[in-house]
Amino acid sequence: MEEILQTEKKYKLDFQGKGNDFFGIIIVNWLLTICTLGIYYPWAKAKKLQFLYGQTSLNGDAFAFHGTGKEMFKGFLKAILLFFILGGIFGLFIYLKMPMVGLLLFYFGIFAILPLAIHGSYRYRMSRTSWRGIRFGYRGDKQELAINFVKWIFLTIITFGIYGPWMSINLRKYLVGNVRFGDAEFDYSGDGSDYFILNLKGYFLSIFTLGIYFFWWQKDLFEYYIDNLTVNKENKEIRLNSTVTGGGFFKLAIVNLAIIVFTLGLGYAWAVTRTLNYIFNNIQLDGNIDLDALNQTEENYKDATGEDLSDFLDLDFVM
Amino acid sequence: MKNQATGIFYDGNSSVPQEVVFLFDSNTATLVFEASNGTIYQWKCSEIVFEKTGSKLSFRHKVEVSQNGYTTDSKFIDEVLTFTKKKGQYGWYQSLLDLGTTIHLGLAVVILAIIGLCYLYAIPWVAEKSVVLIPEEYDTKLGDTFFEQNVIFSSIDSSKTKALNEFAKELKLNNTKKLKFSVVDSEIVNAFALPDGNIVVYTGILDSMQNYDELVGLLGHEAAHVNHRHSMKMLCRNLSGYLFVSAILGDVNGIMATIGNNINSLQSLSFSREFEHQADVEGFNVLVINKVNPVGMTNLFKRLENKNYISVPQFLSSHPMTEDRITFMEKMIKTKTFQIVDNQTLKNLFQKMKK
Repeated sequence: MEEILQTEKKYKLDFQGKGNDFFGIIIVNWLLTICTLGIYYPWAKAKKLQFLYGQTSLNGDAFAFHGTGKEMFKGFLKAILLFFILGGIFGLFIYLKMPMVGLLLFYFGIFAILPLAIHGSYRYRMSRTSWRGIRFGYRGDKQELAINFVKWIFLTIITFGIYGPWMSINLRKYLVGNVRFGDAEFDYSGDGSDYFILNLKGYFLSIFTLGIYFFWWQKDLFEYYIDNLTVNKENKEIRLNSTVTGGGFFKLAIVNLAIIVFTLGLGYAWAVTRTLNYIFNNIQLDGNIDLDALNQTEENYKDATGEDLSDFLDLDFVM
Repeated sequence: MKNQATGIFYDGNSSVPQEVVFLFDSNTATLVFEASNGTIYQWKCSEIVFEKTGSKLSFRHKVEVSQNGYTTDSKFIDEVLTFTKKKGQYGWYQSLLDLGTTIHLGLAVVILAIIGLCYLYAIPWVAEKSVVLIPEEYDTKLGDTFFEQNVIFSSIDSSKTKALNEFAKELKLNNTKKLKFSVVDSEIVNAFALPDGNIVVYTGILDSMQNYDELVGLLGHEAAHVNHRHSMKMLCRNLSGYLFVSAILGDVNGIMATIGNNINSLQSLSFSREFEHQADVEGFNVLVINKVNPVGMTNLFKRLENKNYISVPQFLSSHPMTEDRITFMEKMIKTKTFQIVDNQTLKNLFQKMKK
């Protein structure tokens, strides 16, 4: 016990991004994307991520995003092709006067692509993220995820959505549980029933308080995500701890809304940097893993399809 | 010239910070340093990505992305940055970023202005021109659907409908498409044209009319809507406006998208005003061609005005303010020359519809 206390390390997570700098990136990206009729989009996204990662630091050293516009452009093309194929199948069945079959196949196609998109985007994003040159990695199995995903979707449908929270937590457990940070591994220990109750409580209290409780609900959800995260290496670990408050989220949301509305959207950059600043400054790390002694374990990986598919399907993940 | 500074190097195998001495040789354009295990690294300037954040200059190998280091030695940083700038290695993207917030803000305003102009002028113009590409059959289909859904619940007065069709047959309406007229029994003081050439007139408006010239004006107006495919143009404008707004703002966030969509619906109201004006002008021409007194058009507007119990500001009203239309029509009557010949057939048919 004493030994653990002695080896307790200090960690500091921080986001130093300035709204002005991010605004410059957004405007330059916007200009280039418009001038190239949208072709620049993947490069713009790479620049944006490079900036946001570069401004986030752990123990004084910044994270890095190595993804390139070229990689994401290829993924973007593949994603478009996939959607055209799906759309083509749908169109064919409309032509054959079987719109219901076409629609069914279209949705089936989307559901089949979804786990692959999630898998691809996790793999890509993690493999392109590093800290002090130590690469992150995602080691989930595509097939295993796809089978589980179909199972969870099926359960959610036959229970009229009640299984939804369990599905979310199972998915999160699988994804986070397969993330590696060099020779350290991530783990998520949430539980579907806790998550269900959390959402049930949040939903009803938000209604009863005319929406005011919503921010405290968000706080609970964030806390439930962060507090159940751990990083493990051999028998050592780092625990994550959220210190966000409902009042903090409330203030953040109101000020962000005011910034965006009064600047006609131009203040978006400041809203983002404020939000990231608040979030990263409210995640505490405690534990005994020596971050000066992580070892490289992940190989380079090349395929960006998932990244763009999830963009297409608007999947918003915290990771 | 050679420069050196101490800094930290990460070798890509572990996260151990290695304190090293970076040697920058501007003659050979290389960065040389010795890692703690004795390996000597020689990086060509062109293989390095330099990045300055705060007081720190980071360098990363382009191929071996995991190998990176940094220094905070300001003299060394200045030398390296001046060198890379001189060599043209300083990216054009970075140069754009260096323009500063004021210029970025200016750029943003310019982009917004261009988007605004596109939205107000270019998009509706393109949308309207592209209507030509949509086959007229589609107009017919659209009109049929609407007619079936809306007229089926109201009762058509068959004898008045017959009279109205005969009335229309007597007129030159400049129509490019076959027109069908129906009289629907209703108190509503209104009439409308569907894209398939169906023109529906309510008994409410017929009853409020004093003279047949008003009806000629009305038919001329509605026929113009059909001739110019106004419904399809409206549909295309609204749709493309909506797509444009969501394509530009969709990426930002939900709030902006919502604001944007509301702008679009307010804007589309004034589009219809523009079309109404065009139809008014053509309605006037129909009156002139048929040698009917154009005062009928002004009188028609007055009937509509009397039914407008609540006056709404023009910005919110989907029809141009009746008063504006009356003023415009009076000006037309004053400036144009025309001939009026009393038409007994039209007068008789009009009386048939009046009860």
